[in-house]
Amino acid sequence: MANKLLKKEDLDRLIVDVNSKGGVFVAPKSEARLVAYKPVSGVADIEFEYIIPRNSFKEYMFPQTEVVANYEIKKDGVDLNDVQVDAPKTVVFGARPCDAVSVASLRSVFTWDFIDEFYTKREDALVVLTVACIKADDECFCTTVGVKPDQTDGSDVMLMLTEEGDYVAEAITDRGTEFLKEHADVFTNAKDVKTLPVVDVKPIEGVDLGKIDAFLKDTEHYDEDFWAEVARKCAGCGACTYSCPTCHCFDITDEGTFNKGERRKNWDACQFDQFTLHASGHNPRDTQYKRWRNRFMCKFNIYPKKFEKKGCVGCGRCIRVCAVRLDITEVMLAASAKK
Amino acid sequence: MSNLYLPQLVTIDEIIDETPDVKSFKLVFQDEKLRDSFTFKTGQFALYSAFGLGESTFCIASPETRKGYVQCTFRKMGRVTGGLFDLSVGETMGFRGPYGNAFPIDEWKGKNIVFISGGIALPPVRSVIWSCLDNRKDYGDITIVYGARTVIDLVYKNELKEWEEASDINLVQTVDPGGETPEWKGKVGFVPTILEESAPDPKNTIAVVCGPPIMIKFSLQALEKLGYTTEQVYTTLENKMKCGIGKCGRCNVGDIYVCKEGPVYTATEVKGMYNDF
Repeated sequence: MANKLLKKEDLDRLIVDVNSKGGVFVAPKSEARLVAYKPVSGVADIEFEYIIPRNSFKEYMFPQTEVVANYEIKKDGVDLNDVQVDAPKTVVFGARPCDAVSVASLRSVFTWDFIDEFYTKREDALVVLTVACIKADDECFCTTVGVKPDQTDGSDVMLMLTEEGDYVAEAITDRGTEFLKEHADVFTNAKDVKTLPVVDVKPIEGVDLGKIDAFLKDTEHYDEDFWAEVARKCAGCGACTYSCPTCHCFDITDEGTFNKGERRKNWDACQFDQFTLHASGHNPRDTQYKRWRNRFMCKFNIYPKKFEKKGCVGCGRCIRVCAVRLDITEVMLAASAKK
Repeated sequence: MSNLYLPQLVTIDEIIDETPDVKSFKLVFQDEKLRDSFTFKTGQFALYSAFGLGESTFCIASPETRKGYVQCTFRKMGRVTGGLFDLSVGETMGFRGPYGNAFPIDEWKGKNIVFISGGIALPPVRSVIWSCLDNRKDYGDITIVYGARTVIDLVYKNELKEWEEASDINLVQTVDPGGETPEWKGKVGFVPTILEESAPDPKNTIAVVCGPPIMIKFSLQALEKLGYTTEQVYTTLENKMKCGIGKCGRCNVGDIYVCKEGPVYTATEVKGMYNDF
């Protein structure tokens, strides 16, 4: 199919069209001087000048909190009620290629053997309109982990910015083709438009994923001082995990009044000290560096080995949000240098 | 839509006070169809709900050979087990499972089995013991080495008595030094020491070890001294779990998800793991 043109001035019609049909249109929006993927109601809500939103859009597939059951304790027993996922069609406009790549990673966790339909129903209702990156900041390192600033994996439609500030649209998946057809009045034929060059993100010199893999694979390295040294300054706040597009950990808790409430799935973080604490008091990850080591393992060993997916997509959020500037790429570099 | 997180409702049919802080529940599914169709394999676990307080993970303590109900045994430790502890016969709780792998007891037919357990870790072993005893003729000699901190802390006291009196079971009971009473007729000493003393012959034998990490560590050493290979020894890893189905991210030991690939492992497998448990 020939490429289509999405004019910036037509975005409003697209947003209204999606929203009026019961869908949710999500786009980068500036709030409290920070850009985040948020539902928008018009083009005026959208922030176009951004490198990458501060959140990943995983919350539209895997919400920070969601009800999985309702219960009421009665005199003669418990009323337990199933919950159906409310998954409206959700269009993510202005997604970044790194975030789009991460969708397959999350899906692998939520579908291996046991299918978590709370996740899959939402992801199946998602249309990802990715805008290739023409700018990057110092924290972006996608190319270091094998993701390109115009990577199409995980995107339904790929958008390339034009000199005029419009977008050339290319359908990547059937869902994307369907979307362009459905909104044919907005996506017109592209003729004689010049797209802006994609940013050139240089891979970090010295980082070698093969060497990191070899280092992590050897269980002997697990007990080395290396980990305590690289992760010493970690404050255990968990900000890296909440902003990470591939972090999937959650807790299940009952929330409510004395006799009535909801069972919820809530985001959790492997960086918290009680995350793995046993009832007996034993804690397999009893110090912060062990918890940080687990996160690094998850990204560069567990995801690639177990799920054959990227654990790290190089979005750089964990570096931007870290209060103590624990830069994961510095640890990648150090691990690459290990024998 | 199928909801992975929706528990089954079960009624507490019977409560046994095992120790001052340990109880056993016999649970019956409220869904009559499930009551008949529910099966599991010995070694598998479940998540038990005290509604309003949450879910806790522990093993299914009854044997796979007995149908129509499941049993669980737990110590009152935190919020959920505290809530469960306060429930009475006839009350409702939640059950989600069975999850995880199992002890390969069919492969053990014709072999001798030594069960080694400490304290509140007898429940998972008890499931295996009865699963084997219910087909007693399929197995060779059965030895049980069980210990607790004190005489009071021994669980399943009625069954220990039954096993003691059975002519085809060799039961060795022990309590930690200082945990004995004047009437105590069993051994005094830590489980690994007593295990080494009783020296069950490794020939054609499988050893099952469940207990606190420190007991497992020294029992594995004792078994090695007695001539057991790591292939003959099975144990379970008991990590914190919330989902039980490989999603919530806390039970992993390196790249191994205990909830899905465990909790039952051979000592060989445990030896090859990251030091993360």
